[in-house]
Amino acid sequence: MNKLGRGQRDKLQQFMLITGASEKVAFQALKASDWQFEGAFDLFYSHPQLRSVADTRHIEELYNRYKDPYVDMIMADGISLLCNDIQVDPQDIVMLVVSWHMKAATMCEFSKKEFIGGLQAMGIDSLDKFRERIPFLRSELRDEQKFREIYDFAFGWAKEKGQKSLALDTAIGMWQLLFAEKHWPLVDHWCEFLQARHNKVISRDTWSQLLEFARTVDPALSNYDPDGAWPYLIDEFVEYLNETSIIQKGKLSEWNYKS
Amino acid sequence: MNQREIIDFHEGWKFMQNGITKLKSILEGAAETHFTSEEHIMLYTTIYNMCTQKPPHDYSQQLYDKYKESFHEYITSSVLPSLKERHDEFMLRELVRRWQNHQVMARWLSRFFFYLDRYFISRRSLPPLMEVGLTCFRELVYQEVKVKVRDAVISLIDREREGEQIDRALLKNVLDIFVEIGNGLMDFYEKDFEDAMLKDTGAYYSRKASNWIVDDSCPDYMLKAENCLRREKERVSHYLHSSSETKLLEKVQHELLFVYATQLLEKEQSGCHALLMDEKVEDLSRMYRLFSKISGGLEPVSNTFKQHVTAEGSALVKQAEDAVSQKKTDKKDVVGVQEQVFVRKVIDLHDKFMAYVNNCFLNHTLFHKALKDAFEVFCNKGVAGSSNAELLATFCDNILKKGGSEKLSDEAIEETLEKVVKLLAYIGDKDLFAEFYRKKLARRLLFNKSANDDHERSILTKLKQQCGGQFTSKMEGMVTDLTLARENQTHFEEYLNNNPTANPGIDLTVTVLTTGFWPSYKSFDLNLPVEMVKCIEVFKEFYETKTKHRKLTWIYSFGTCNVNGKFESKTIELVVTTHQAAALLLFNTSNRLSYQEIMAQLNLSDEDVVRLLHSLSCAKYKILNKEPSTKVISPNDVFEFNGKFTDKMRHIKIHLPPGDEKKKVIEDVDKDRRYAIDASIIRIMKSRKVLGYQQLVSECVEQLSRMFKPDVKAIKKRIEDLITRDYLERDKDNANLFKYLA
Repeated sequence: MNKLGRGQRDKLQQFMLITGASEKVAFQALKASDWQFEGAFDLFYSHPQLRSVADTRHIEELYNRYKDPYVDMIMADGISLLCNDIQVDPQDIVMLVVSWHMKAATMCEFSKKEFIGGLQAMGIDSLDKFRERIPFLRSELRDEQKFREIYDFAFGWAKEKGQKSLALDTAIGMWQLLFAEKHWPLVDHWCEFLQARHNKVISRDTWSQLLEFARTVDPALSNYDPDGAWPYLIDEFVEYLNETSIIQKGKLSEWNYKS
Repeated sequence: MNQREIIDFHEGWKFMQNGITKLKSILEGAAETHFTSEEHIMLYTTIYNMCTQKPPHDYSQQLYDKYKESFHEYITSSVLPSLKERHDEFMLRELVRRWQNHQVMARWLSRFFFYLDRYFISRRSLPPLMEVGLTCFRELVYQEVKVKVRDAVISLIDREREGEQIDRALLKNVLDIFVEIGNGLMDFYEKDFEDAMLKDTGAYYSRKASNWIVDDSCPDYMLKAENCLRREKERVSHYLHSSSETKLLEKVQHELLFVYATQLLEKEQSGCHALLMDEKVEDLSRMYRLFSKISGGLEPVSNTFKQHVTAEGSALVKQAEDAVSQKKTDKKDVVGVQEQVFVRKVIDLHDKFMAYVNNCFLNHTLFHKALKDAFEVFCNKGVAGSSNAELLATFCDNILKKGGSEKLSDEAIEETLEKVVKLLAYIGDKDLFAEFYRKKLARRLLFNKSANDDHERSILTKLKQQCGGQFTSKMEGMVTDLTLARENQTHFEEYLNNNPTANPGIDLTVTVLTTGFWPSYKSFDLNLPVEMVKCIEVFKEFYETKTKHRKLTWIYSFGTCNVNGKFESKTIELVVTTHQAAALLLFNTSNRLSYQEIMAQLNLSDEDVVRLLHSLSCAKYKILNKEPSTKVISPNDVFEFNGKFTDKMRHIKIHLPPGDEKKKVIEDVDKDRRYAIDASIIRIMKSRKVLGYQQLVSECVEQLSRMFKPDVKAIKKRIEDLITRDYLERDKDNANLFKYLA
């Protein structure tokens, strides 16, 4: 420990502050990732045993602050308050990431178990820590694998309880939000198309396959396989793009291209 | 014991030499013609002795050498010179003569020297005597003259090809030499003669073909080709060796047919297409015979055939469409006469081209397939909005119903039904046909319009054979239902007899149908006239005594009523549908009724009311008067009982045309297809557990192809629906792979 350089000791302190880990754990994580924060965080959060038991009492106090007076859950008002406290807009996509950590069943409400479990998973037991954690949570969206998980999670979370499919308006809202983070040039056309031609609910299969489509097929559709197993809605979307000359001869019309 | 005298070599050989000289003079045609037995024995014995003498007097080796020398000497001194001074045909004759001579010489000499053959040659592993002789001739004569001989033979062959008479026997003899000189091997024949002959043949026919192809029409060319092939075949039997036949014919076929195949078939006025247009059956048969011999020869012919059939079929479709649009009747949804004519023409077309396939093209599979493909193309086009499935069903209906085709004999009807069923094979949407057929069958059965039960059963049997039991099971059920219904009716009448109070006062016949077999019908809550309500109740009671736990749904649209119309001049019995009867009976209580009132009282839809009122006021028999008396029913019309109505008949049927069935049929079929696709997908995935998208689709299409051609998009939608219903899921790593969820 005494062999640590000045810079390293600073990093260690910072790490402990952010993650709430003990010095020993922080040191292990940083050392294993060559004193790089990003790697160390990743390592830390993927190994549950490294996380210190964030003070459960504090978390419960937080829960009580937000819980609804009549039901043992945090409802819309509580969430508003929480967002206020952590200085985040309730529409901000980072709330989706938070909900994902909590494994929340439905949007706009957190059960006690979800809230406490989620905060523990994120290593948060105070509002300060929460605020500090926000940038990291935001950064998780840039991880390919995590984005996929969050995206898939969003479907179940955004749909109504007891329904199998997602209402179109909600779906469009979610897509706008998600694809603002992970840029997809065709997202607006997709939403237009759905409103013009589909006007019905979105199935889970279509939802999850859309991400594949956005990820793998280039916006000029040059590598789109019409005989592939894409959901028929996506096939219709491609037809729509061709019909309305948005895609002409395999090129996305320039003025429609959003970078 | 007499010691044999030793024969000195020179003495002995001198003796032999005399014999050989005699032999030569015989060959050269001298007076003496043969050896006596004595001479023969002497010569033989001399050799024998000289070989069996004790060394150093055993002269076997020397004698063997001398034997060989004899040939050498004779050949070089006599044979070769005589051949060299002759040419062409004369040379050939001389060769044959010399060869025959040689064989005689060899035979005789071997007899004389025979003892050598017995022991000497095997002991020393030397060639036997006959072979020695042959080899001499071959090395000294054959090798010298073979090229000249070959060329002479070939030029004779070419002259024969040009029509000259040549000496065939001579050629046969010459070619026999080529064969025999090989002593069992065909090598000499092949290398020294056949190869050159084939090459020359090729060049010959190539020249001919290049002229003919320009000058001659396709049939003429083919005739010439056929003749050439025949003549070449004869040539083989006359003088060529049989082993040359295949190669020779192939060569000719190649030059005449293979090289010019495309040009020949595509000749403007006389090629394959033209022959089909002009129905030149004989020429087409010849074409088949010739082109079947060359590789890939039949494909272009069958393709042209397919195109021709498709064109003719499509022309029929267009003809029918034009005729329909010209007629412009307002009953656009009813399949009219033009469409029926179309079906008849398609049947005739099929017969015509099947005859081609059987006769010209000798039932070759390529042509069967071409015919099938062609028919599948235009048989799925439909005419003027009606699909071919519907057209065929209507065609059958016309044949099977009363007043349809009673002028045809039973045999003719059977034959036609047979052909119609065959046409069904070309139609992709067989399930659509089944549904239309079922609907029309229902009408025939329920309105007692079926002309002949035997024909009805016969077509069902044919359909079953062609499309399987599942196809016809419902229809058969329908027919059975009617038989049962008749029995049931008898019981009902007994019941009425036994319970006079239950009797509704009207003669009632009820046909009970099994729901699954019959097409689905919308049942309306028609407001029945009071008289009929009792009927319904009575029957319900009766039915409960027979079977409990069954629900009766009444389909009034298929009922028939006999109503007495008491008109001013006379009473006429009107045969009408239940709906029509209900409407008429309304006029028992009020003389004038408006459209709206009638509709309200009957509780039917606009569509049905319009049709109904039209049949009673605007058609052949005006039972009701309409204000205004236009030909079209409008919601503002008012109706009045027409007391002045009369007709010379006492009993008239007022026809109510059926409504628009087409849309409903198509809807029903689409629904059934969705279920069929679901079932097929589940069946496949259950057995395969994991399967890629493309494979799943193609297996599904195959499974369902017996009944219809599923749309790939439809299958995709069903797959997604099954995913949502948790029957299937996509593989996590490969979106193109699906897994069955138990």
